[in-house]
This record gives sequence, structure tokens and C-alpha cells, in this order.
Amino acid sequence: MSSTHSSLASSPSLVGLFSWLVPGSGYFLLGERVRAIIAGVTIFALFLAGIFVGGIRIMDPPGWNSDDPSQSITSALIDSPIAQLSDKPWYVGQILCGPVTVATSAVSIHLAESGVPSSHSRSWEIGALYTAVAGMLNLLVIIDSAHRASAIKSQG
Amino acid sequence: MSLADVQYVPFVYPLPIWVQPWIWPLLLLPLCLAVAIVYKAVRCNRVSLVPREATGLFITIVLGMVLTAAVLEGLAAFMG
Repeated sequence: MSSTHSSLASSPSLVGLFSWLVPGSGYFLLGERVRAIIAGVTIFALFLAGIFVGGIRIMDPPGWNSDDPSQSITSALIDSPIAQLSDKPWYVGQILCGPVTVATSAVSIHLAESGVPSSHSRSWEIGALYTAVAGMLNLLVIIDSAHRASAIKSQG
Repeated sequence: MSLADVQYVPFVYPLPIWVQPWIWPLLLLPLCLAVAIVYKAVRCNRVSLVPREATGLFITIVLGMVLTAAVLEGLAAFMG
């Protein structure tokens, strides 16, 4: 168990990947449990606060068109990835929060198809801002945890 | 269906705070707090320093924004 733990901790890319999958978990692999809890809980809380303020429909993935729900997200992203991303650039920040973004986006699309209306104006802006900033903060955590793993690796 | 027609469900519909405009600026506080906490969690070598350092950074950010808002308000009033 401890050798597995140390081999995981000595790989910066694995630590970074874990940090993306679950915010703060990269620190956990490095044995910095309190730092992991502080960073992870804060990022999750900010992400959830964004959905609380703006509603679930602020999760609006690129490629999905609420006016034409029959259009496939995958084909839209393959046909014009840059145009789709530049149409919804805040999603780049949101996706940095990890799979929770994908899961909430799937729920958002499902509810949209059930007729749940989208928020607008300030509610939408603040919700999108909270979730995108949460993702950007997680990027900071990903880089820092990978850097710390790299330092541990170079120390041998 | 519009938002005016539905009963509020937390996390599904947006928080109905548009009826009280004074709340909007307060929504910057959780954002500033989260930025201060995560930034200091990353920067501080000793985790025990994070609460004090994050509090200081949070106050600095908020005071900076209040000062900037006051300057911009004064500038807008001066210009027109």
C-alpha cells in the first residue's frame, strides 16, 4: 500500500490527473491531507454555489444547442470545435473542475429537454462566473500539486 | 415556460434574488473568500498559516474593490 502510494505521489502527471478528477486529491496523494481538504472543499463549494445562484442550466456545454436539441454534441464539436468553444468560452474554466462538470452538464441537458427554463441576466452571469472561477482555482491546485510531486521525485 | 411560471427548486432554478438589488454586490464576497482560501492553500508552506493569511488576503481584496468602486463612482460623477 505504501509503495503504491509513494509511486503515485512520485508521478507529477498522475498527481495532476487525480487533482483534475477530484479537486484536492493530488495533495492527498502527496500526504498533505489538510491542504487537500481545504482546497477541495473550497473549490467544490464555489462550484455548487454557482449552480445554487444560477440554477443547473448555467451548465451549457459547447456543441449543445437548446434551440435544436436533436443536434448531436459530438458531431457539432467535431465539425467546428473552435467555433463551438469560442461560442461558450466559460466552459473551458468550468471543465477544469473535472468530471463533476460533465455530470452536471448531462443533468442540465436532461432538464432542458424536460422543459426547465434557463436563467438569464445577472443570475446566469454570476453562476457561470462562480463555476468558471472554481475551475480556474482547480487549475492552480493541479499545477501546484504536480509541481510538488515533481520536487519529491527530483529529491529521489 | 418562463422562470416566472415555476416554483423555486434549489439548484434547478436560479436563486430568486433579483427582487432585492442590494444583494448583487454581496455575491462577490464568497468568490473573493474562495480565491483567498485556495490561493493561500497553494502558497503557504505551513497549512496552519492558511486561515490567518487567507483572512488578510480576503480583506485586502474586498477593500481594494471598494476603493476601486469609490474611485470609479467619483470619476463618473465628475465627468458627467
